[in-house]
Amino acid sequence: MPLTIVKNATCTFCGCVCDDIELHADGIRITETKRACSLGESWFKNHTAEHLYPDALIDGHPATVDDAVEAAADYLLNADMPLVYGMSNITCEAQREAVSLAELVGAVVDSHTSL
Amino acid sequence: MTCTLGEVKNRADFMIYWGGNPAECHPRHFTKYSLTQKGKFTPKGRKDRTMVLVDIRETPSAKAADVFLQVRPGKDFELVTALRAIVKGQRVNEAAVAETGLPLEKLHELVAMMKAARFGIIFFGMGLSMTRGKHMNSAAVLMLAAEMNAFTKFVAMPMRGHGNVTGADVVMRYTTGYPFGVNLCRGYPRFNPGEFSTVDLLVRGDNDACLVLGADPGATMPQPAINHLARIPTITLDPKVTHTSRLSRVHITTAVTGVSAPGTAYRMDEIPLPLRPALKSPYPTDEEVVRRIREAVMRRPAWLPERNAEMVV
Ligand code: SF4
Repeated sequence: MPLTIVKNATCTFCGCVCDDIELHADGIRITETKRACSLGESWFKNHTAEHLYPDALIDGHPATVDDAVEAAADYLLNADMPLVYGMSNITCEAQREAVSLAELVGAVVDSHTSL
Repeated sequence: MTCTLGEVKNRADFMIYWGGNPAECHPRHFTKYSLTQKGKFTPKGRKDRTMVLVDIRETPSAKAADVFLQVRPGKDFELVTALRAIVKGQRVNEAAVAETGLPLEKLHELVAMMKAARFGIIFFGMGLSMTRGKHMNSAAVLMLAAEMNAFTKFVAMPMRGHGNVTGADVVMRYTTGYPFGVNLCRGYPRFNPGEFSTVDLLVRGDNDACLVLGADPGATMPQPAINHLARIPTITLDPKVTHTSRLSRVHITTAVTGVSAPGTAYRMDEIPLPLRPALKSPYPTDEEVVRRIREAVMRRPAWLPERNAEMVV
């Protein structure tokens, strides 16, 4: 795999969201994290592009994403008061989708801020 | 009243870190934004700035501070209130101040330094906002900063942890009008922290399904809340199989935000920044999976009247 270099990459490990990091990656893992602190370095190096986990699990058994999506939709639609929780380690685009889903199924939506 | 970290870098000559340990939790905060950077009006960097640390114990951040004030655990609110009184020149009860663990002269010195600043900022962390008093502490610090503006420019900023938790506040604010704990059950947003916050809802057992994204409540929440998550159908989206995934009915593996998923994240001063992923994930992004769940819900027949026909008179 050729080396890819990403200049001005953004670290999302802590609230500083440093956007001046230079990442070197070989397609599978990140090999170098210039200017990142030790927390940022371990965050980048701990995540790889390997297929380490099953795509989806239903009741603990491996399943396809399609089936898992359908099951999730059923659970959320059939609930009277579902909860959408978390939202901190996802992008703003995903957060918007989550709020829109919460509105559709009539859910409570909440983040880490409320802890 | 707050500002951006760019303003801090260029202008702040006085800063208080209250209830946080940036040296270990936000390692580059000092060097990239606040303390040691050379800014337009702080050309000598560290030499142009004074830093005060207020915390319940001496953390590694204390080494970077000019003044370290050790407050008794749970006495932050009392300390802020005393400072507010001193700022306004009111009399304070010495015995009451002694309970905070700090002598009255120290507080007078601190207020004198605050008033002498050209641009002061208070960064407040979880040690303030998550301990006794909670949001009342944050409110008191914001009031202190606001009242300081009668003398000089002063602002306050929360030290947010956890990647894009600031983004969650911002997105919920501009979509629903409230920053967190928003109940959309009636089709319009209702906001009531304590009633619609996750821990309270789960401990009371109010919810009958849960979608968890970018969090691992199974590892961090109080046990009764976790027990309830295990009882109801929980759906977890995460790059790893987490504690929460193990008690969930459905888990979907997703790409890692910022490493293999593109998008936007907010810095703690509410500046949105683009993510530049360096890897291509074999998994879909959270955004894509949530959109697919939403589309799957939309394909289902409407909730009324078929399913609940017997309820419709
Ligand atoms: S590089 Fe370090 S300080 Fe910067 S966002 Fe990442 S973890 Fe935080």
